[in-house]
Amino acid sequence: MMQKARETMAYQAEISRKNPGCFLFLVDQSESMEDPFGGGEAGRKKAEELATILNKLIHNLSIRCAKSDSIYDYFHVGVLGYSEESCKPALGGELSGRSLVPISELANKPLRIEERTKKSDDGAGGVVDQTVKFPVWFDPYWKGGTPMCAALKEATRIVETWCEEHPTGFPPIVINITDGEATDGDLIAEARKLTAVSGDDGSVLLFNIHLSSTAGPSIELPGNANKLPDQHAKQLFEASSTLTPFMVARATELGMPAAEDSRGFIFNAQPLHVIHFLDIGTRPANVRLR
Amino acid sequence: MKHATAANECDIKVFCCPKSGNSLEEYEDAWAHRQTRTPVGIRVAVADGATESSFAKLWAVLLAESYMRSEVAGAEFFARLKPARRLWRRRLAGRPLPWFASEKAEQGAFAAFLGVQIDAHKNRWTALAVGDCCLMQVDDVGKGMRVVEAFPLQKSSQFTMSPYLIGSRSDGESLNERIQISKGSLRDGDMLLLATDAVAAWLLRQHEEGRPLWKWLYRKLGTPESFAAMVAYGRKNGLRNDDFTLVRVIHHGSPVEAKER
Repeated sequence: MMQKARETMAYQAEISRKNPGCFLFLVDQSESMEDPFGGGEAGRKKAEELATILNKLIHNLSIRCAKSDSIYDYFHVGVLGYSEESCKPALGGELSGRSLVPISELANKPLRIEERTKKSDDGAGGVVDQTVKFPVWFDPYWKGGTPMCAALKEATRIVETWCEEHPTGFPPIVINITDGEATDGDLIAEARKLTAVSGDDGSVLLFNIHLSSTAGPSIELPGNANKLPDQHAKQLFEASSTLTPFMVARATELGMPAAEDSRGFIFNAQPLHVIHFLDIGTRPANVRLR
Repeated sequence: MKHATAANECDIKVFCCPKSGNSLEEYEDAWAHRQTRTPVGIRVAVADGATESSFAKLWAVLLAESYMRSEVAGAEFFARLKPARRLWRRRLAGRPLPWFASEKAEQGAFAAFLGVQIDAHKNRWTALAVGDCCLMQVDDVGKGMRVVEAFPLQKSSQFTMSPYLIGSRSDGESLNERIQISKGSLRDGDMLLLATDAVAAWLLRQHEEGRPLWKWLYRKLGTPESFAAMVAYGRKNGLRNDDFTLVRVIHHGSPVEAKER
């Protein structure tokens, strides 16, 4: 009964500027990321897909936290890249070497802001070209092996510190984006150590985004590994945390196939809805999510 | 006199405060009310700017004030929001905004809305809503008081974190399907409560769990101290941390001969 009570009470902490949430991205920069991505257009590299995902996630998170003239620090965000023999902070420019950065600082300090053209509704039934700002925080990169266990170890160290500093806050969410194969040890064992770190509101959550060269339908938030195409995907599924009830409800609301036993695992799809799995207040249902 | 002026027939009080941890400047609900001696009668509105939208306070104020000044009580009110939308855009025009603020403002601001027109001469009300601001009508019959109407949501379980809301940019056709209208009659001593989502959900839950606060709201709520005590009690007992707006209208009308309930 006590165990049940604790489970029921977990993942309820309000996310606010005083008690922010934490997203820590682990990004695979090994040489295999140069290979073609199986879930997209021909000739596209997995590293390019990863960079697109990460830039879109940070972009959307910035928009989500934007409030009138400014931006509220509802989240702190970190990006660790792993390649060759090591894992290190992967944000560049003025944010080089930083492991966790408040979203306001991140939004204000991209590597560059590109201008791109997009088609938009002209309000009279037609389409017009519109110039939009496209901030870039992260460029594709690949080299050497896949020290994913080192990345999970470094993530464990970072979230331990975070949980000590924010003991009553919503537990950090670590999102690992990879093509799947650790070359430096037992992935599951390291994942268990990471998700054993906890605060008053529950344990750290680990989600895995698998960008595979294997072509095939994307799979989002599965409850079991039956339909996963290979051993790497199954192992990443095994390492992924079960979604919280709020996340299941929110994912369902966003049209994702979530159930009570869904894990935070996505195969060959852009995980753009993941940032909406944490609640920061009323969200209009009639705003199209990007 | 049966037809006393409306101004004498309703006692209107507003109780509001920002989300705990936020400053008063960050309060994004809005309310407005007007009592006239014309057939327009008494008009009360509350609006709740969505946390996840920008310049939502401005939009909520524009919605509430537009309703207060308007003379229509039906769905056509929403077809007359052009001036409010123009004003919202004008307040933002030319403002230097960083890329993220500019992109967020492009999405528009969003708010839930509830407007109630009370015809105190005929002892009737008409309510208009989009979203999850709620009207609760409680009558003064008997010791416990009785909920006669809860609109547009009836149960605490119906509140979500993603309601459909009114946008400061054009809503297109989709809004028409979301407009809700209700009508009812009033007896002397009836209480109408207009509340934004968190407080409405909490009041309905207290009622569902057999701990209704209606009588207390009717008889005891009045001073800043009693309001502060209620918020403090609520926040320890399931009231979600959010902006809090409650407009209490107590009707002191003439007896109605033919009741419609």
